[in-house]
Amino acid sequence: MTLWPEVEGVSGAEEVEHTADRAFRIRGRNLRQLLERAAQVLVVLEGEPLARECFVQRVIEVEGTDRETLLVNWLNEILYLEQTHQEIYHHCLLQDVTDHHLRAQLYGRPADHNIASAKAVTFHNLEVKESSEGLEATVVVDV
Amino acid sequence: MLGTHNFVHVEEFVWEIPPTYRPDMRVPARLYADEELLNLALSDNSITQLVNTATLPGIIQHAIAMPDIHQGYGFPIGGVVATRLPHGVISPGGVGYDINCGVRLLVSQATVEEIQPFLKEIASALYSNCPSGVGARGSLRLTDTELEEVLHEGACWMLGQGYGEPEDLNHTEEFGRVPGAEAAHVSEHARERGRGQLGTLGAGNHFIEVDRVAEVWDQAIAARLKIYRDNVAVQIHCGSRGLGHQICEDYVSRFQKSVHDYGITLPDRELVCVPLDSEEGLEYLGAMACAANFAFANRQRLAHMIRQSFEQVLTGRIKDFHLHQVYDIAHNMAKIEEHEIDGHPLRLCVHRKGATRAFGPGSAVLPDDLRDIGQPVLIPGSMGTASYVLLGTTAAMRQTFGSTCHGAGRVMSRVKAKKAVRGSELLEQLKSRGIVVCAGSMSGLAEEAPTAYKDVSRVVEVVHQVGIAKKIARLEPVAVIKG
Repeated sequence: MTLWPEVEGVSGAEEVEHTADRAFRIRGRNLRQLLERAAQVLVVLEGEPLARECFVQRVIEVEGTDRETLLVNWLNEILYLEQTHQEIYHHCLLQDVTDHHLRAQLYGRPADHNIASAKAVTFHNLEVKESSEGLEATVVVDV
Repeated sequence: MLGTHNFVHVEEFVWEIPPTYRPDMRVPARLYADEELLNLALSDNSITQLVNTATLPGIIQHAIAMPDIHQGYGFPIGGVVATRLPHGVISPGGVGYDINCGVRLLVSQATVEEIQPFLKEIASALYSNCPSGVGARGSLRLTDTELEEVLHEGACWMLGQGYGEPEDLNHTEEFGRVPGAEAAHVSEHARERGRGQLGTLGAGNHFIEVDRVAEVWDQAIAARLKIYRDNVAVQIHCGSRGLGHQICEDYVSRFQKSVHDYGITLPDRELVCVPLDSEEGLEYLGAMACAANFAFANRQRLAHMIRQSFEQVLTGRIKDFHLHQVYDIAHNMAKIEEHEIDGHPLRLCVHRKGATRAFGPGSAVLPDDLRDIGQPVLIPGSMGTASYVLLGTTAAMRQTFGSTCHGAGRVMSRVKAKKAVRGSELLEQLKSRGIVVCAGSMSGLAEEAPTAYKDVSRVVEVVHQVGIAKKIARLEPVAVIKG
């Protein structure tokens, strides 16, 4: 079991209006923080609190042709692992982050119910762009 | 900002934005709607998305949107785009993540009055026997070989396993099996996501619904479809589950690079596309067909479990409750079809994203017993509201590549819907109307509140009046099963 500091909600992430699906504007000091917060948004989508106790650990590597593809592939890989292993990943430790590659450890626990997670993260209007706080991206999630 | 002033009112219920609106448009953008639905469409980004689809290479005639149009991701929901073979593009976003999301309709000789005393038992049996929820697992445990067989054979595989009746396939779009499926182009991720999900409903706006046939406009046609007023009907609305979602993800991601290799520039990355005759295009088409077949097999298995549920509850209590299949349609698909354009037959790739095929009388692809009347079209309403059975028409073949609407279309985000109504309140409202509800999530129920959707009757009236589908019957819910 791994213990994490409690996190109240998801800093630097806010939901934006979308008629059919869910959309989130995510900000981070750098790409690493942007990716971390984006992963936490998936937990929020599932209606789960960001838990302290984690019993499961998985290591993943993701590639992308650019930052946007990396972001989408990262989130979709998490969704894939959640749905095939019936687990929820409340925390992640990102390592070796570049614009085209990341390696990460996911920490979570088995889901005790059918996961109400997303179908997929889309590229719709996606751009990882510079902002006054670092980086910003708006992600649309097909639910 | 787009407004009604950007549209040319071509004729009643037909509005167009000319290609002069934006330099990257290749064809006009055409919307089928009344004035109220047009204004609703302008309240989100759906019209901008429609204009974006008019930029796709190889597109012919018009980028089209149905009156249930609403904002999607890339294509608007309710969008229809046809590209010309061989070099016109295919776009996975023009099909959607839930490949072959669609509707199957079953009808019975039993009346709602006959089953009313047992309705709660039926709903409970359906909820118990038909797994629901996004990550739901089914009871079938497929080997690698069996999964590949499902991907190639679709509903035919299910029939071979003893699930369903031969007539089911005859009354399914593509007869339950899209040709050209190539499992070699389906990733391991997709196989793993889908493997345990065959025979499951999913969540969101997916449902099983027991209905009353409330109104019949054409009794002779309805009788041909075994639809009679006050009789029981059952709808299934679901798709290809995690397998389809992953296939779309895989190819949308892959095409992010490919689109540059082919020198294609697009206003939205979710519209990524490649020439249909390219290696990537053909591989996507083969994988998409696999997902479509998985969805047909999924609905075939669910139909079997629904019939079993009815037998479980009604055997010995009601004389004739057997459920016959009216039809099964897809509303997220890309099909290679031949259409007459300017008097000449042309092979096209018709993308329907939240739009339904609506082939008219005489279409060679329809089953023998339906060819003279046209293809049944199934339009589910939002929860607690009406659903419709229509027929495809010759006018649809002329105007919309044989296409029509698919449902009510959302007007309110899921977040707003949950703020506007509590799931428990909605449940009580439905119960007060005599509708039995079995739902896995009160939050999910609130997201699907009828107020979050357009008036489906209005949407159907537009397609009926413009002639791209013909009203046959209206169904009203008596029981709803949701994830």
